[in-house]
Amino acid sequence: MTSDLKASAAALPIAVRTRSLLADKRTRPLVLLGLVLVVFSVVRVATGANELTSAGTLEAALALSIPLGLAGLGGLWAERAGVVNIGLEGMMIMGTWGAGWAGSTYGPWQGLAAGVAFGAIGGLMHAVATVTFGVDHIVSGVAINLLGLGITQFLAVQVLHNPTQSGEIPSMGTFTVPLLPGWFASIGAHHWFAVSDLANVLFAIVDKPAYFTVMAVALLPISYFVLWRTAFGLRLRACGEAPYAAETLGVNVYKYKYLAVIASGALAGFGGAFLAIWSGFYHDGQTQGYGFIGLAAMIFGNWRPAGLAVGAGLFGYTNGLQLRSPPAVHALLLVLVIALAAYSAWLLYRRRWTSGGISAVCTLLVLWWFLKTHELEQHIVSATPYVTTLLVLALASQRLRPPAADGIPYRRGQGK
Amino acid sequence: MELRGITKRFPGVVANHDIDITVRAGTVHAIVGENGAGKSTLMKTLFGMHKPDEGTIAVNGQQVTFSSPADAIAEGVGMVHQHFQLADNLTVTENVVLGMEPTSRGFLSFGAARTRIRELGRQYGLEVDPDALVEELGVGDRQRVEILKVLYRGARILILDEPTAVLVPQEVNELFGALRELKGQGLTVIFISHKLDEVLSVADAVTVIRGGTTVATIDPEVTSARQLAELMVGSELPSPATGESTVTDVDVLRVENLCLVSADGRSLLEGISFTIHKGEVLGIAGVEGNGQAELVEAVMGMRQAATGTVDLGGSDMSSWTTRRRREAGIGYIPEDRSRYGLLLDAPLWENRILGHQTERPNSKGLLIDAAGAKADAQRIVDEYDVRTPSIDVAASALSGGNQQKLIVGREMSGEPQLLIAAHPTRGVDVGAQAAIWDLLRAARSRGLAVLLVSADLDELIGLSDTLRVILRGRLVASADPATVTPEELGSAMTGAGAAA
Repeated sequence: MTSDLKASAAALPIAVRTRSLLADKRTRPLVLLGLVLVVFSVVRVATGANELTSAGTLEAALALSIPLGLAGLGGLWAERAGVVNIGLEGMMIMGTWGAGWAGSTYGPWQGLAAGVAFGAIGGLMHAVATVTFGVDHIVSGVAINLLGLGITQFLAVQVLHNPTQSGEIPSMGTFTVPLLPGWFASIGAHHWFAVSDLANVLFAIVDKPAYFTVMAVALLPISYFVLWRTAFGLRLRACGEAPYAAETLGVNVYKYKYLAVIASGALAGFGGAFLAIWSGFYHDGQTQGYGFIGLAAMIFGNWRPAGLAVGAGLFGYTNGLQLRSPPAVHALLLVLVIALAAYSAWLLYRRRWTSGGISAVCTLLVLWWFLKTHELEQHIVSATPYVTTLLVLALASQRLRPPAADGIPYRRGQGK
Repeated sequence: MELRGITKRFPGVVANHDIDITVRAGTVHAIVGENGAGKSTLMKTLFGMHKPDEGTIAVNGQQVTFSSPADAIAEGVGMVHQHFQLADNLTVTENVVLGMEPTSRGFLSFGAARTRIRELGRQYGLEVDPDALVEELGVGDRQRVEILKVLYRGARILILDEPTAVLVPQEVNELFGALRELKGQGLTVIFISHKLDEVLSVADAVTVIRGGTTVATIDPEVTSARQLAELMVGSELPSPATGESTVTDVDVLRVENLCLVSADGRSLLEGISFTIHKGEVLGIAGVEGNGQAELVEAVMGMRQAATGTVDLGGSDMSSWTTRRRREAGIGYIPEDRSRYGLLLDAPLWENRILGHQTERPNSKGLLIDAAGAKADAQRIVDEYDVRTPSIDVAASALSGGNQQKLIVGREMSGEPQLLIAAHPTRGVDVGAQAAIWDLLRAARSRGLAVLLVSADLDELIGLSDTLRVILRGRLVASADPATVTPEELGSAMTGAGAAA
């Protein structure tokens, strides 16, 4: 009894401090990331599934997240300016083809440039349709998706003389970070609780990154600074929130929408080019719906760069894990149990008995599933990234705040 | 600022012609006119949102041409729009600096912007927290942000389009304080309104616009609100007074012991009983929020009464749906026309169908009869003097008064036995008000029973044959409209004393 009291008294300040750190806007993301790291470490140690946070898994996760993140960024640029861009997938496809063609003919850098340019052309088409002609954004986006697929298949036959794939794209080259990778690798090899997991994360980031990986990751903070810290970005966002207000202040709304949608296409094209160059060649159907998932990641991220990075990372991680080591996916169930248990506890603490009760029952069911099985069936394993994304989207999209004029056609001088 | 011979045509209409206005620097100059008189068109011309077809604009003696708002801003002309032009999800600072952002090395310097906004706020009595999101602000603060936007751009001439339309009296006083402050510091304010008391209290000069042209510029010191109103309307001011009584002894609506309880168990209406006869207007007076809206909705069947009966022309309709009640002959003018009365983005003829979609001439069997509805919409437009270029324009293109006339016309077609009119002339101009009063009087003399809810006491006293006062969900007093004064009625509404 007394020892219980002592323990809870010792735990109390930590809990209180965690709470105040959580409440502070600046520290909240770090605290949450820390919690996630601890949960994964616990699960790794408990199940022995070292693949859960191995450097290999995390490197695959990073590589798989990047195209999604780029597509999401593309969506962010367009939607912040008030244009819904469901054509990201088509623009991405054009990017993969552009990179495949120019990459196999001239080299990887030219391939990247061509991929970006092709995506930008897709963006330009979307801008002409939606901004100049006031076509419904969804209709135009769907048309771009069909067009992107059709054009690339046509060009593949005409230019590459191979309807399904391009020749090989030479590797882009990597650069070496001094010392750090060695250190992180040796720490990671010890499988220490939390420390090794963190070391593996850092190792995945600094281990011979390809140039375009660094560029892609850098685009995230760059987008944030451009959109939120410059006059250009403020005007662009104003076009997505209140275009007629922007118009009365002398902002050329058409111009900003055009630039935003072209940038959006260029980013999606970069994402496509990344896929092609990373695989070493272009092939038909390479994007696998990444454009749509990127858009979902952006919505999950509440139309913000950091949020969409988390969304893309979530999908990339589960995808990387199921590709690299299917058995480790089973351990994810325990992560789910912990997350659900925490959620139930929070609901019950808030006296929301019904939802809390349902959530607790789900926790027990998943726990039972985890304990009763030793591995998951292959078709469940390959569906993991999609199921996870779906679940997280469904549970987390409670308080989303899209730009106010997103998807609403704008005509100059017709405001009220 | 000087305007000479401004004419602006739109396809099918001449919105402004031969407008002449001279605004002296450092004054508050009001421009008044009925809705649809062309004030808003004139303002758009002044602010460069479109070019006049004829005429010239001069600022400080220099002739200028505005081809976009940016040109007007450059000449020191700023506009505060009637519908706020603000981005809700951006901060006050972001909204204010948009389009003229202070930057250092390519990045926005929010610090400098904040300081400038605080300074302007202090200087003119327009203080707002620069870091608040606009969506968190109330209407009065939003208007300050609008004015700050204009001042931040260095405007010396401010155009305010119906600035008081959305404000409560307290906020109106604050706004007028700020306007006097601006004037005191040498700025010029052009103030557009149709609220005459306000205009007379704040303006140094008043220009009246009627039918798209300027008819007079007067000195508010020596003009009364009534004279000004007559200039605006161009004729004797209408009065709501009805002629002789047309009340018969045939019951149309009989409400007995109606009680209504809210979802959380509060009593909204208690023991309401009244009868309206053929040809009778029953007026319900009350301070807003005392159960008028709930009473109307209970009679319409939009809310389910807890107890009591509602009887129309001898048949108990307590359990009827709203649809059935309407078909049985109840017309309904809702209190908020843009939310409940119209589809603003739909053309007039589709609005004609609303609420009458099961009746001829709007439908045949299960299908909508577009031709019939259009023909009938045209009839309403003609008979009820709805001023519109055609029945195919969206309802939002009409002024409030014309929208309301369309609703009245719609509800009167199909010869209802009972008309429920909630605030029928709220927010419409004097001309449309007179027209709607005429329509109600004419319908009454044809034997229509009317349940009238209004906040305008003159309207209530003038139109009603019988007056009842509602207070906290109960009918607490009745008054004879022939003898009661607005003051007596007002005190009965607040429960201060019983009316005659």
